[in-house]
Amino acid sequence: MYQPDLSHAGRALLSRRDFLRWGGTGLGGIALATLLSEQRLLAGEPIRPVFDPARPYAPRPPHFEPKAKRVLMIFCSGALSHVDTFDYKPELIKRHDTPMPGTGLITFQGENGNLIKPLWEFRPRGQSGKMISDLLPNLAGMADDMCFIHSMTAKSNTHGPAENQMSTGFTLDGFPGIGSWATYALGSECADLPAFVAIPDPRGVPQVGSRHWSSAFLPAVFQGTPFNADKPIANLVRPASITEAAEGSTRDFLKLLNDRHLAEHPGDTDLAARIAAYELAAKMQLAAAEVSDFSHESQSTLDAYGASDSNKTKAGFARNCILARRLLERGVRFVQLFNGAYAMGEGVGNWDGHKTLKDQYDKHAPVLDQPAAALLKDLKQRGLLDDTLVVFVTEFGRMPTFQKGANGRDHNPKGFTCWLAGAGVKHGFSYGATDEFGYQAVEDVTSIYDLHATILHLLGLDHERLSFYNNGIERRLTDVHGHLLKPILA
Amino acid sequence: MLTSRALCVPAADAVSLPAAASHAVDFEKEVRPIFEAKCVKCHGEEKQKGGFRVDLKRSVLTGGDNYAPNVLPGKSADSPLIRFVAGLDADMKMPSKGDPLTSEQIGILRAWIDQGAAWPETGGVVEKKHWSFQPLKRPEVPRIEGVAGNPIDLFILAKLAEKGLAPSPEADPRTLCRRLYFDVTGLPPTPEELEAFLAESSRDPQSAIRNLVDQLLASPRYGERWARHWLDVVRFAESDGFETNQPRPNAWPYRDYVIRAFNEDKPFDQFIREQLAGDAFGVDQATGFLVGGPNDRVKSPDPVLTAQQRADELHDIVGTTASAFLGLTVNCARCHNHKFDPIPQTDYYAIKACFAGVQHGERPMKTPDSEKRRLKAEALRPRLAELETALEQFTPLASTAPDAPRRLGLNFRRNSDRFAPVLAKKLRFTIEKTTGAEPCIDELEVWSAAPQPRNVALASAGTKLASSGDYPGDAKHQLAHLVDGKYGNDWSWISNTAGRGWVEIEFAHPENIERIVWGRDRESKYKDRLAIGYKVEISGEDGAWSMVAGSADRAAFNPDAQAGADWDSPALNAAQRAEAAKLDQERRAIVQELAVSMAEQTVYAGRFEKAPPTYRLSRGEPMQPREIIAPGGLSEFGGAWRLAPDAPEQERRLALAKWIASPENPLTARVIVNRLWHYHFGTGLVETPSDLGINGGRPSHPELLDWLASEFLARGWRIKELQRLILLSSTYRQASTLNPEAMRVDAGARLLWRFPPRRLEAEGLRDSILAASGGLDLRAGGPGFDLFETNTNYVKVYATKTRFSGDDFRRMVYQNKPRVELDTLFGAFDCPDAGQIAPRRTSSTTPLQALNLLNSEFLIDQAGAFAQRLQRDAGPDPASQVKRAFSLAFGRGPVPEETEAATRLIATHGLPVFCRALYNANEFLTVF
Repeated sequence: MYQPDLSHAGRALLSRRDFLRWGGTGLGGIALATLLSEQRLLAGEPIRPVFDPARPYAPRPPHFEPKAKRVLMIFCSGALSHVDTFDYKPELIKRHDTPMPGTGLITFQGENGNLIKPLWEFRPRGQSGKMISDLLPNLAGMADDMCFIHSMTAKSNTHGPAENQMSTGFTLDGFPGIGSWATYALGSECADLPAFVAIPDPRGVPQVGSRHWSSAFLPAVFQGTPFNADKPIANLVRPASITEAAEGSTRDFLKLLNDRHLAEHPGDTDLAARIAAYELAAKMQLAAAEVSDFSHESQSTLDAYGASDSNKTKAGFARNCILARRLLERGVRFVQLFNGAYAMGEGVGNWDGHKTLKDQYDKHAPVLDQPAAALLKDLKQRGLLDDTLVVFVTEFGRMPTFQKGANGRDHNPKGFTCWLAGAGVKHGFSYGATDEFGYQAVEDVTSIYDLHATILHLLGLDHERLSFYNNGIERRLTDVHGHLLKPILA
Repeated sequence: MLTSRALCVPAADAVSLPAAASHAVDFEKEVRPIFEAKCVKCHGEEKQKGGFRVDLKRSVLTGGDNYAPNVLPGKSADSPLIRFVAGLDADMKMPSKGDPLTSEQIGILRAWIDQGAAWPETGGVVEKKHWSFQPLKRPEVPRIEGVAGNPIDLFILAKLAEKGLAPSPEADPRTLCRRLYFDVTGLPPTPEELEAFLAESSRDPQSAIRNLVDQLLASPRYGERWARHWLDVVRFAESDGFETNQPRPNAWPYRDYVIRAFNEDKPFDQFIREQLAGDAFGVDQATGFLVGGPNDRVKSPDPVLTAQQRADELHDIVGTTASAFLGLTVNCARCHNHKFDPIPQTDYYAIKACFAGVQHGERPMKTPDSEKRRLKAEALRPRLAELETALEQFTPLASTAPDAPRRLGLNFRRNSDRFAPVLAKKLRFTIEKTTGAEPCIDELEVWSAAPQPRNVALASAGTKLASSGDYPGDAKHQLAHLVDGKYGNDWSWISNTAGRGWVEIEFAHPENIERIVWGRDRESKYKDRLAIGYKVEISGEDGAWSMVAGSADRAAFNPDAQAGADWDSPALNAAQRAEAAKLDQERRAIVQELAVSMAEQTVYAGRFEKAPPTYRLSRGEPMQPREIIAPGGLSEFGGAWRLAPDAPEQERRLALAKWIASPENPLTARVIVNRLWHYHFGTGLVETPSDLGINGGRPSHPELLDWLASEFLARGWRIKELQRLILLSSTYRQASTLNPEAMRVDAGARLLWRFPPRRLEAEGLRDSILAASGGLDLRAGGPGFDLFETNTNYVKVYATKTRFSGDDFRRMVYQNKPRVELDTLFGAFDCPDAGQIAPRRTSSTTPLQALNLLNSEFLIDQAGAFAQRLQRDAGPDPASQVKRAFSLAFGRGPVPEETEAATRLIATHGLPVFCRALYNANEFLTVF
């Protein structure tokens, strides 16, 4: 194999170049296998997935024995208030309606008023006695299965960059989503469904839309595929104008054209890969229809999720939760389930409670609570939690104060709560803490990089070695940051 | 991780440091061995932990991410390096693994530092200059026995021969013709164009190719294709990105500028200068480059967020400029010295300072005649003022009587209220009702009575102002603007209360006044916020207020009314009416002419403001400013020049442009010729087209790259000249046949033993689908079309359109390109989303591509259009239809087996089903 004169950093990274080439110009990707396995011996160097372009979703080995085979990320768009849900602060209750020490704090929308106690009562839950508010009673009932991180911090206090960061690691636009990274590394356990599925809220896409599931500079095959229970994969279904017989004849005719063409260009893997992609597409049409068909779900299951609820949004989200479970059951590698959509004005689209938080959350919480709790319970009952990691996130937290002249809380990236459940993490455990009011993380301060590093670790991936060489830079999900959160590992 | 806290307490614990050696230390014999034994594993050529390496003088004396300088000559006890090796900082003990240094070793290092940290230039490792940082030299063209001709081929052949490889034979003319069309214009040849070429080629293959290359490079389609490449490189999109992602409806002139620049073969150095400082060259739209990136429009009173957003905006401009023109990842030096390339953090901020006055936004686009038009407008204005004053005498006096005759209705531009002359010390204008929102007054003029009427309200006359309250936080709307003598919304006052407000003018001396003139926007751009219920009061020396005019005697408000209007007032006699009508006719003509002269295209090409000081930001944190940095270039790349820290804004960009667009710059020419190669062959001579730095790829043919770069300069930075050379080379004209022998040596064909085939890119695919169906609309330029449904939320949601018509069938380069939103169909074909630069596209194969091409409404519609075209072109005979279809889709005729299968498919399922199949064939979207 021809080896160009390599840079010091690139000496062991010949594969980068050939990897870049695999999609475009032939056999490069295949020829690499040996080289790559050698490369694995070099500590600290990137470990590159080896692809067969004809089977891009084929499962690939992780860097080490994984705890989780797949991930469900529940993303609450708009910034769910930690002080009103999972982060219990007696001092905040005690100091209700008094000024927060330290004056003149200007946050996203401006000045802040007094400290305001949680708008819902906290009470102990489960055997762990974890204090959780009444806002999300069903989820609270699952407290013993959850592993809380109370010391999350984000880099931005505005939704766009912060949602970017939670899903892609970068506040700026244009970086691959965590699901794209995971499927780039690992492929999928499911041969005929997309490896990475994004399930948008029934009300619409989240605030930064497809940036959550964009493949950015990774090959487009690792894009998340967006669909939900009510809105199937775009262009999945054969149009009415094409009969089944016409479809069959078309495939036969295409095969004839493509086989002849391939015979003229023997050995061209790209041509072979495209032929394979059409075969996979045909399987996906069946598999995606099957996964979205709930007719075999029992009525008790549907009811447990709230799929027939008179609240249409809740019923829609419940169906999305069922879809998420069905995808995970079939081995889809990464499912990102969104609760909350883009900003549609106060109190409509998502968790962004600036002005009338009480009214707004009273509307939102029921949409999330029963369906998400049912999903968690269902995964547990079916044994899926044993090898599925559930991660519950939001882009940042909210202030322990009300905004001046309003009855809601402003953005707060200095401290918020996420929780994990399932494969590889402790149960009924809490990690890190915010200060006495829930304003900023003070104990075991945790970054989004750390969370991402830990998710990748549970998938058997070293976040420092999972990289993609893009224009001279080894890009990683965790940039140049990230520490494994060992204390939360089971 | 360590904080700088550790370093704030130096010297105090010098006592606990081992003593410095007392002899004169020899660097090579004593110091370097310690570095090599203890440090170089983590801080050397292989790894540079903390951005620090001990094998280079530069790094030891100035390098390091967090603690630079690590060595302070003469002060060993204060030098971080000594503190770390002595283990004084609990968090930062060096070496981090293995045995610590002995007291003796520390003593030697201390002595070396105390004695001046001498580092002999001769002997030892001298930093070898990276290939692309060296001055460009023109290499010798290799000589090969029996081969003459295109130097490109000689370079390629020489390298192939080294590896025992041979080039492939020339591709057949049909393949070559399609390759050239797709590569140069992004479209397939029409069957007629293809046949014409084949005919010519059979007579004289060489001249046929030459003519075709000339013809294609001269085609307007060429610029559309190659501009798309450049737009990838510079992350151009027509929306803001981030959460709101609102469209930028006036960003397209930049796209048209780039297309025109390619079509006109604008010398590349001029292309660079214009994109950085087009405002200085009469090409305003060219600076769309600067602000082509994302910009977070969600603003907040939070100063940290605001500073972060501004830092990110400028970071985007710095990073894009350096990557596009210099092929360097200067953006890596935002927080610390570059880890690989010799780019200190201060250089990042020097370039940032060049852009410190650049703001996102629109500005008027100057056209060649805009200055002429401006002067014409200036010349018209005094006459307009005369006419308007003359017409005043024909307007009735305002009256406060309940049964007064109606005066003219109000208009947005200019209204006057005339009253009997009165001595006034103050005048108050009170608004009681508006057409909506807080009232806005552009200018409030108060005119004194004859013999010499003056506007006595002007601030320059010494007036004082008061108001009920002013619109907060907008520099355009200030109380002072009420009487500043400047017209237009940018110089206006707005009240802080919806529908109400008052302003008061106190004159320097009592004035004998007789009318006021006021409006919402004297430039006629805004039609809102007009006061339609108001009263005008004056007070004399005694301080008592009396009303002199108001809206009560005005005719009903008509939003479409023009200023002035109706001179048929019963109060005028026939002669007065005739005189008024005559004056008014002239006035209207001038207003009309002014409107034409003032009409301007605005372009999203940035606004240029006075540049504030640029500070180096410690660790890139916007709230951690350090020293002021002057505008300048990259010091290690001939860019050590610095302007004054307060240099004028435009001068900064001009200076930067001059340095980049210079034949002396080692990178600029290399970077662009490599990009051209990349797009012609699918892979650049350097595979990382926007990083020619130390961590980028190595050139497969370094001499060829340098030869091309010097040839490019010799030919006056002409892109088409260089492309002609490439396209006519035998290397480019090779077949793409696979050769198993060669595959074993060079699977990716980096050495170009064959022409590497490629899948069509998203744009080429859409354009080709439309070309085959006959629906392609080749109208060039102007505002783009949308691939997404419109919505009006403040967060723009991009839903892929499914029904298309009209403009939608133009070439895809003319779509309104949203940022980080890809349409469902073509987004699956690795279309860059302009969130970041995309100097190289990935090319992947996915089942969703198949589903999109089989089932999308766009494709089904186009298959239908294709079918209709076949009937038009080939009549009802299926065999003729198949023949025509194959030549449109594949540029060839069908073989009998294909004709037979195709006619069977058509007979059973109809022409559209057949056309849909052709669009999905590998042959349709692969270029050999």
